[in-house]
Amino acid sequence: MASIEYIILLTALSGLLAYGVGRINKVAGAVVTIIASMFVFVSVTYFGYNNELINSTELFPYVTFSVTYLGLFFAILVTFIFAMVSFFNPFFVEKYKYPAAYSMLYLLSLAGVLGVFFTNNFMSLFFFFEFVVWTSLFLIPMGKSRRAASSYYAFSTFGSFALLAAIFVMREASGTFNIVSSMASVNGTESAIVMVLLSIAAFAKLGAFPLNVWLPRVLGNSPDAVSAVFSGGLEKLGAFVAVLALVKLAPFGFTVDVTGLQASQYVIAILGAMTIVFGTLMAIRQDDAKKLLAYSSMSNGGYILVALTIASSTSVAGGLYHVVAHALASAAAFLAIAAVSRQTGTTKMSEMGGVIHKMPVTYVVYLIAIISMAGIPPMGGFISKWLIFQAVIDKGLILIAVAVFFGSIGSFLYVFRPLAALFLGQEFPKWAKTMKEAPVLMLVPMVILSGLIIYTGVLPNFFLGFINDVLIESGVTPLVLGNFTVEGTNGILQPALIAAVFGVGVLIAFIIFILLKKSRKVELMDTYTAGNFIYTEELLHYSLDFYAPLERLYEKYINITKDFYKKLENKVVTLGQVMKYYFFTNKPEITVFWIIVIIGFLLWGEVL
Amino acid sequence: MILNILFGVGVAFFGFVLQTTVAGVNRKVVARVQKRYGPKWYQEFLDIFKLLSKRATTHGWIFDFGVIMALGGIIGTAMFMPITSDLVAFENFDNFFIFVYLIAVGMLGMAMSASGSGNPLASIGVMRALTTMLAYEVPFMIVVITIIKLTGTSSVSGIAEFQQLAGNNWFMIALPLGGIVGVMSLMGMLGKKPFETYIAPAEIASGPMVEYGGKQLGMLFIMHEITVFIEVSLFVHLFLGGAENILLFIVKYFLVYTALNIISSVYGRFKIDQVVLFFYKWPLIMAVTQAFIAIYLGWVI
Repeated sequence: MASIEYIILLTALSGLLAYGVGRINKVAGAVVTIIASMFVFVSVTYFGYNNELINSTELFPYVTFSVTYLGLFFAILVTFIFAMVSFFNPFFVEKYKYPAAYSMLYLLSLAGVLGVFFTNNFMSLFFFFEFVVWTSLFLIPMGKSRRAASSYYAFSTFGSFALLAAIFVMREASGTFNIVSSMASVNGTESAIVMVLLSIAAFAKLGAFPLNVWLPRVLGNSPDAVSAVFSGGLEKLGAFVAVLALVKLAPFGFTVDVTGLQASQYVIAILGAMTIVFGTLMAIRQDDAKKLLAYSSMSNGGYILVALTIASSTSVAGGLYHVVAHALASAAAFLAIAAVSRQTGTTKMSEMGGVIHKMPVTYVVYLIAIISMAGIPPMGGFISKWLIFQAVIDKGLILIAVAVFFGSIGSFLYVFRPLAALFLGQEFPKWAKTMKEAPVLMLVPMVILSGLIIYTGVLPNFFLGFINDVLIESGVTPLVLGNFTVEGTNGILQPALIAAVFGVGVLIAFIIFILLKKSRKVELMDTYTAGNFIYTEELLHYSLDFYAPLERLYEKYINITKDFYKKLENKVVTLGQVMKYYFFTNKPEITVFWIIVIIGFLLWGEVL
Repeated sequence: MILNILFGVGVAFFGFVLQTTVAGVNRKVVARVQKRYGPKWYQEFLDIFKLLSKRATTHGWIFDFGVIMALGGIIGTAMFMPITSDLVAFENFDNFFIFVYLIAVGMLGMAMSASGSGNPLASIGVMRALTTMLAYEVPFMIVVITIIKLTGTSSVSGIAEFQQLAGNNWFMIALPLGGIVGVMSLMGMLGKKPFETYIAPAEIASGPMVEYGGKQLGMLFIMHEITVFIEVSLFVHLFLGGAENILLFIVKYFLVYTALNIISSVYGRFKIDQVVLFFYKWPLIMAVTQAFIAIYLGWVI
């Protein structure tokens, strides 16, 4: 038995402990994060799975908790990602300016995340939400850019205000802050307002179009381990809010013909589809591996939104499974890139090549992660995409299907690019001597994540069974599961069979390969160059502007959203200057002006 | 279960023999179109066995592993392929999406191996192949989801059976716009002109295959033959009503492949960005129009 209150409190206190220890020894402080986050993950999973989490609070009676399947599902996933990524902290803290603060903030944001998922009160939800924003906010500038942090803050605040407004509307309607009863009591116009506001909060957190600008900046520029946490964990807060907004609230508007969707659902699905397309197109043209993965996170967030809006049993199950699959895959991919950048000091793909020869395990981890990310069997991403396709086809959503398939095929393009440019190709001599495989402690989480990615792809029924509990709790019909099969609306899938058949195929190919004559090993530089003599590895490596012919087709249009927000930013700055001029100045004429205005008001009051 | 798997391996082998034979015959057909005599019909077999028996060079473990993964993925995909409506290795599990996505494992293996060779020309070839894939796949998928929506099943043999039960009402005819899109996408998939930029012999040292020789090239040839088998059979099952018996399947298969080859032999070649622009213009518009007509208006011939 374990009390949620004490788990959260313990996490927060261990954050302070990490700070204290970190002041004495940087690495020891980071080791505290491993122990604490592993402890949190194990206790939440063990006690949560056995229904032994205690809701009651003793020390802070104002904060109330309740364990829902939805909250537990997200809590287990996100604490797992935090626990896995924490293994990277000891190897990275030394580079940061405030290593002790880094360890502390890491654990504090974990405490905040737990609070968000377990509270049953909207006011504490808002508090924990802001707590996560404020703790993670200061993790970002320890990486490359301060601007990313301010961008994150701006969009998060927008989302938080929307959430707060939604909470007030619900309070007005129901007279309570309790999540379940206040969401149940809104209807009609209020329900519509709440849904729009909550959707805004979800969009801001997920980094979906049009609130997408912060995501690539933050994921591309924050410290390597923090990017993994953001993509695999914190971004999923948006999915949590999206479930509240899209699945638990009744949609509104007129019914869009044939599809059976309400207008509000259709609009959000279209925005999700746009997120998929824009994320994919931008990911294809990135040179920075982390930015590429960041845009892919955006595009996968679009899948989650599309799935949750359709709100049928396959789609919601697919959306929630996509949350799992993408969290695992993107965390693994970000960690693999982090392992490489630790040795090379850069994440630019055009500056690296042939990393595979020195870091084969990292390569395999990245390979498994991207296979899942591209939705190719036998990895987890295939199951979730298959479920989402089922729902899209079943509803006959053609325009959204275009986006969904475009994103799916486009993901082959962008995930292959780091593979070709960074891991494969010519081995650069400047790294060849110094580079070596990541230390064992870093390999452990990567290998565990890869194992889980394969497990979710081969035997998804355990996780889908848990998701079914969430579906029943949310009032959605659960998915039909066989022993090893998953039933969709227009077909049955047996993932274990696909994996087995793939294994048989590879076995046959391997036997053919091994029976034939052994090949002679030649150097990488010993290649066909059409009669040219090339002696430098860099010249024989194709990595810059990888998809140049494709990029040329749309490079004119990429800055539209960014320009819009730039203009908005300028307007806000202007407004700030006006404010400053009229309210915070020591010019005598302004003071006189205000005195006259105030006297005028007073006199006007007298007259009335 | 073991029997099913053995049957599946049999399907893959059948596909290899069928396609290699048909490809050999087609080399003669195309030669006649171009007023040449052409090689013997079994020339393709000779090529492959010669390559398999030769001693080759390798560029490291990923170069070899990629080839194994490519051939393995494609054999695995072919094992799911129905031949007639009854001859299916794994009944009810021949889901359309398996073909589209499991085939990608094979493609990924080949792309990985090609990039692992360290030759920039191979990477450029892979880039072109992936870009072409982005072009032809989306219109094709839209047409296929229309078919799945109409039939209510995503099982490939189920879709074929649906057309047979409807009195041989093939989707090629029932969805005319979709049928045209299907043909164009199939030409892209097979790398036929005008969409053959990524494997054309005259372009950058024949693209992804530039570094291969000996058994690796032989295995990739086998992989290519089985890939073509999967793609053409998919077209036969989805658009031409599948086949009641194996003979009819072979006839339909041969006709589709030969027709595409004849069309292809009189075309020039698109640049890679022209391929993308082309597919995102007419085929996509046609596919979406067809989907709207069939799903929203319910007009199916």
